[in-house]
Amino acid sequence: MHDDLNWAIGGEAGDGIASTGKIFAQALSRAGRHVFTSKDFASRIRGGYTAYKVRTSVDQVQSVVDRLDILIALTERTVDENLDELHEDSVIIYDGERTEFSDFEAPEDVTGLDVPLKSLAEDAGGAIMRNVVALGAVCAVADFPIENLDESLEKRFGNKGESIVENNKQAARLGSEYVEEHFAEEGPRYSLDTTDNDYVLLNGDEAIGMGAIAAGCRFYAGYPITPATDVMEYLTGRIEQFGGHVVQAEDELAAINLALGAARAGARSMTATSGPGIDLMAETFGLVATSETPLVITNVMRSGPSTGMPTKQEQGDLNMMLKGGHGEIPRFVVAPTSVAECFHKTVEAFNLAEKYQVPVYLTADLSMAVTERTYEPDEFDMDEVEVDRGKLVDEGDISAWQNEKEQFQPHAVTADGVSPRALPGTKGGVHMSTGLEHDELGRRTEDTDVRVEQVDKRYRKVDTAIEQENFDYREFGDSEADSLVISWGSNEGTLVEALDYLDEDGVNVRVISVPYIFPRPDLSDEVKAAEDVVVVEANATGQFADVVEHDVLERVERINKYDGVDFKADELAAEIKETLA
Amino acid sequence: MSSENVRFTDFKSDKQPTWCPGCGDFGTMNGMMKALAETGNSPDDTFVVAGIGCSGKIGTYMRSYALHGVHGRALPVGTGVKLANPDLEVMVAGGDGDGYSIGAGHFVHAVRRNVDITYVVMDNRIYGLTKGQASPTSRPDFETATTPEGPKQPPVNPLALAMAAGGSFIAQSFSSDAMRHTEIVQEAIEHDGFSLVNCFSPCVTFNDVDTYDYFRDSLVDLSEEDDYDPTDYNQAKDAILEADKEYMGILYQNEDSVPYHEAHGVTENMAEIPDGAPDGATDLVREFY
Repeated sequence: MHDDLNWAIGGEAGDGIASTGKIFAQALSRAGRHVFTSKDFASRIRGGYTAYKVRTSVDQVQSVVDRLDILIALTERTVDENLDELHEDSVIIYDGERTEFSDFEAPEDVTGLDVPLKSLAEDAGGAIMRNVVALGAVCAVADFPIENLDESLEKRFGNKGESIVENNKQAARLGSEYVEEHFAEEGPRYSLDTTDNDYVLLNGDEAIGMGAIAAGCRFYAGYPITPATDVMEYLTGRIEQFGGHVVQAEDELAAINLALGAARAGARSMTATSGPGIDLMAETFGLVATSETPLVITNVMRSGPSTGMPTKQEQGDLNMMLKGGHGEIPRFVVAPTSVAECFHKTVEAFNLAEKYQVPVYLTADLSMAVTERTYEPDEFDMDEVEVDRGKLVDEGDISAWQNEKEQFQPHAVTADGVSPRALPGTKGGVHMSTGLEHDELGRRTEDTDVRVEQVDKRYRKVDTAIEQENFDYREFGDSEADSLVISWGSNEGTLVEALDYLDEDGVNVRVISVPYIFPRPDLSDEVKAAEDVVVVEANATGQFADVVEHDVLERVERINKYDGVDFKADELAAEIKETLA
Repeated sequence: MSSENVRFTDFKSDKQPTWCPGCGDFGTMNGMMKALAETGNSPDDTFVVAGIGCSGKIGTYMRSYALHGVHGRALPVGTGVKLANPDLEVMVAGGDGDGYSIGAGHFVHAVRRNVDITYVVMDNRIYGLTKGQASPTSRPDFETATTPEGPKQPPVNPLALAMAAGGSFIAQSFSSDAMRHTEIVQEAIEHDGFSLVNCFSPCVTFNDVDTYDYFRDSLVDLSEEDDYDPTDYNQAKDAILEADKEYMGILYQNEDSVPYHEAHGVTENMAEIPDGAPDGATDLVREFY
């Protein structure tokens, strides 16, 4: 009936919603269907309302829609919460034997299928399997071969023993048979075609973790925080297989300092957190930048400020990442635009960090971090991963970077702004790193000329990177259109789908999706050529719009002084006069 | 340079310390350098981490790989260095403010992790570089600009904190007793696990109570006490909680200590990585089928 099916399971937190959703999503993916999942969750462990939604099609799907075709309702509230999305062909599966459903009537025009989930689960071996019974019922309604569930159940319960797996398979069959027997003539039916494709199904946090291991990251330190914790959970137990280690730190300040220590010792190192954690890390962020230590700091954004809405989407931390911290610090900000890009940009973030010896903010937003999407496996081709460690020097190279007293110069002033890097243990490379302003040897200084040289050297890396790297953007829609839509982060998928609707209405737009916030591609020609420009982002004030506006303004002249000495009236007057001349 | 030929002066940088004349930190640092040389380490294989304050300057005056960090966070940095490359000798230095005030949370967790690093605290019972405010180890009646009537609260007992957190090597030394201080740091380096050396390092400018004379007269050297056994937990506990006496020497050492990197199997130098994705990375993708 529909190529595109929207399914959900809803109930209270603690009802096993997420794992049931995942089992069904994996079954669809294994059956060669594309999947896009979304989660509606609250900041609590048990109770409340929570749902896991799956949109599936044989074609790629990359956004949520406000239509629900099949709903497993474990609580009556689940139906209320989704009322607006139900339609005349919707099917609700519920357990009428459950007390709260004793007087339940499905909304008008919506088909309710009363399936004794708990009783059937008990028949199969235990009430705990009632969600799996419901999945079996869904297979019957959706004409989806129930065998596809089996592999998912094996994956989910395999480590609990064969009998548990068999009981679950049986539970699913009882659910399916019950629908076939009792509702054969009743209500709408869907048809889910399968294909020979085998997709992979993963979310943004997992893609970041996988990208980190692929890039050779060996050390991770973090403090649990929604929605970044999945990065740590992914790495734990996996990174060890590649000689790495995860430390759950006592707080975010420790996390970034642990990661900094490992990076100084030469490991590719990462920490991940969300907005409040980024604030706590800000002081050390300055040390990372000034000591020119390569470090990847992942910020999975959630709704702020303060604790805001920890389980809700927002792209509100851009200003913090671009400008946060005292003093002026060169930093790179990379913002993947899809789950697959989370993998690729993580690999790139590690290369950028080491090539330019800078801290790199890698930022995903909550929607992308928790959303699972299907891809062709070759989208994550490990053979294509390249590792570039930048200007690492060995014992033999060091003499070229020594001063007359045979001291290594870790902050040597170079044309490209990048200095040689000697890892601890390298003979002859002994040096100190510090957050104090320092000379080429790394030693504290307040010398005005040296201060200016070092600030310039550090900022020169940005120019070098713009020259050497391909800070490109992705483009969709009509490249000739007069209207330009600019986006960053997870909005890309939604925009791509929105193009179809716009097309139907005869509206042509050009979409530019920008994965690099700093350094970033120059959009000024594109913006100036367009008649209308709209920047789409999940925040109140248009933080990226500010950036775009800033970039296309006519340039103003500037007078700058950052050598640590006060402006003097006469020299300032002279400079102003010269600048205006 | 081969480690046999290392002398303690090899750990000295060519920068002249800007500590006040007579500062206890000179002796504390000299003992650290001597202990490093005595234990066969070379500057190339040593990493020193320091925080902020007078103690934080140590990275500038010593010669080794080093990081001078932000206030109170030296221990996490040292932990990260050691875990990433267990071949390095990692020493962390800090003051009483750095270690027991702003960094107190990290101190407790570093102790309980038992990472094989040596932590030397230059304890002068005052904030020196900010010119004389009370520190967490100041006496309750110690009058300063910010505590005109004294802090009126008991000082932190760092040894007791370490013991409560499961510390495996807890020691106290005195910067002016060069030989004992060096011996104690040397034993701390040789200990497998986290070693705390709280070194009394008098501030001659701002602290006229906890002076060289005070420590010289009051410190009891446990190595001279016939019946003291530092591996005896209960004896150590009593000595650490003793309110009327201050001790020098190794108060407690757990001989069964297993350092973090051994307990967690983190023994490789993580700096060495392949040019592309590591072998087996494709299995990570297969997991998502």
